Amino acid sequence: MHGFFRWSSKWWPGTIPLVVFWAIAAWTGTAPLEADLAARSASALKDTVLDKTRIEVSGRDVTFAADAFSEDGRRSAVAAVEAVPGVRLVNDETRLVPEAKPFVWSAERDVARVTLGGNAPLPASKGKLLEAARAALGGVEVVDQMQLSRGAPQRFDNAALLLLDQIVKLKDGKVAISDTKVSLSGMARDLGGREAIAAALKNLPEGFSVAANEVKAPPYVFQAYKDPVAVTLTLTGYVPDNNVHAAIAAAAGRKFFSEKVVDNLKASIGAPSGFVSAVVPALGALSRLSTGTLVVTDREIKLSGDALYDAAVTQIRASLARDFPEGWQVKAELSVKPAAAPVDPTVCQQLFSELLAKGKIRFESGRAAIDPDSAGLLDRLIEIAMRCPTANIEIAGHTDADGDDAFNQALSAKRAQAVTDYLVKAGLPAGRFTATGYGSSQPVASNDTDEGKARNRRIDFLVR
Amino acid sequence: MAYLVTFHWGWLLASVLLGLAMGWIAVVQRGPGVSKAASRWLAALAAALVAAALARAIPGRPGYWLDLGLVMFATYLFGCAAGSWLRDRVLSRRPPAA
Repeated sequence: MHGFFRWSSKWWPGTIPLVVFWAIAAWTGTAPLEADLAARSASALKDTVLDKTRIEVSGRDVTFAADAFSEDGRRSAVAAVEAVPGVRLVNDETRLVPEAKPFVWSAERDVARVTLGGNAPLPASKGKLLEAARAALGGVEVVDQMQLSRGAPQRFDNAALLLLDQIVKLKDGKVAISDTKVSLSGMARDLGGREAIAAALKNLPEGFSVAANEVKAPPYVFQAYKDPVAVTLTLTGYVPDNNVHAAIAAAAGRKFFSEKVVDNLKASIGAPSGFVSAVVPALGALSRLSTGTLVVTDREIKLSGDALYDAAVTQIRASLARDFPEGWQVKAELSVKPAAAPVDPTVCQQLFSELLAKGKIRFESGRAAIDPDSAGLLDRLIEIAMRCPTANIEIAGHTDADGDDAFNQALSAKRAQAVTDYLVKAGLPAGRFTATGYGSSQPVASNDTDEGKARNRRIDFLVR
Repeated sequence: MAYLVTFHWGWLLASVLLGLAMGWIAVVQRGPGVSKAASRWLAALAAALVAAALARAIPGRPGYWLDLGLVMFATYLFGCAAGSWLRDRVLSRRPPAA
């Protein structure tokens, strides 16, 4: 043993090359060692949910900074780094992400983009929301302004995803979650969108409730355009359902006897109440115009165009003031079409015959009251009568052969008189017209068929 | 420690070999050794450094360098001890050629 101490006193010269080795090892090994420890630490944290993770290694000491989402998560992350082989010390600079109170999240849509803002509970749910927004909105730009925070209510992700599905249905607006309260505002993209959103909100996850749903429906628009050149009536916009669609198409067919009806209507929910009882008389008013446009927006009716003569303007205005359900507003911008050039009485007769071949003046069944659907036709007849001011005109009423002759005779006379009265009310001199009832004595078709009878029930205008 | 060994095994091997060589030579070397007083001081210094390393008192890179130096030094001492012992065994078996 004594020899051992003697030898050891002579080991010192080897420390000189040892120090050299040590210096070289330290010089070349430090950076790779630090990189290796950083990589090991990062991989130890791979399965831990953290935000803003920063790992700096100096020698074998790791400075570890991160935002954790729970105290347990923070502790286990620090422990995971401490457990990395080779790590000597961990400078713990971790902290918890701030808690948001109330926990607010929002998605706002304007013309160009959708902005996601407020708080998100975890990086994963933030990514999920962004991805869902991009997928749902197609080409629309999605801007992320979400911050990570603690304090999200349970099932927050599901609620937010459901709201993101609703923002697709908005033209513009905002959906927001504040703790467990959901609020929505803005304008629905389509008719029915507001109702669809309200229905979808019933599927909100348990615990969430709707604090405010102020989504507005887009205006319910119905349009009709009477084009005198193309001789068409174009209907566009919405009707509540197929029954109303059929009723409006039928009314248009009756009122616009010579025009071709181009029907581009679509059925959609969201119609204001009283839609049919407002649109049908408005179409009647449009039928009396030479050219005109009818726009029904929600409960507002706008009629513009040219009437055929002065008195028609007054009559149309009066009917617009009278015929509409409560709560509807009517605006009429009517002017009078310039009077057509006067023509010879024989031309007048020809015009009457042509017009009456296209459409017939209708009456209520068995009575002498003129059907309002014939107002457009009567206006056209009046316009022709105004073009030959010197001609005297016989207004001849005819019936079919059904029923009692005397009754038919009286009915035809009353109907002819009703038409005459209508013309006089329009401003034509009463002296120019003679009303005559012929009963069933002058049929133009067989009275054996319904079709023939219908042709025999007529009013003829005869220039004398 | 295990990590340092696996990471720097090449340098530690070099330290052992250096120690073996030095230990081998030290048995027959006639030059001056370290005096008792000096060796006590050196032992105290080594103990202080080991204490500092175990207490992790020196932070960052210097702390790592200290650890590395001590591990290399310990390996070197082990090599020296092994070298001297082997040389002694070899000398004591073979009678000196008088």
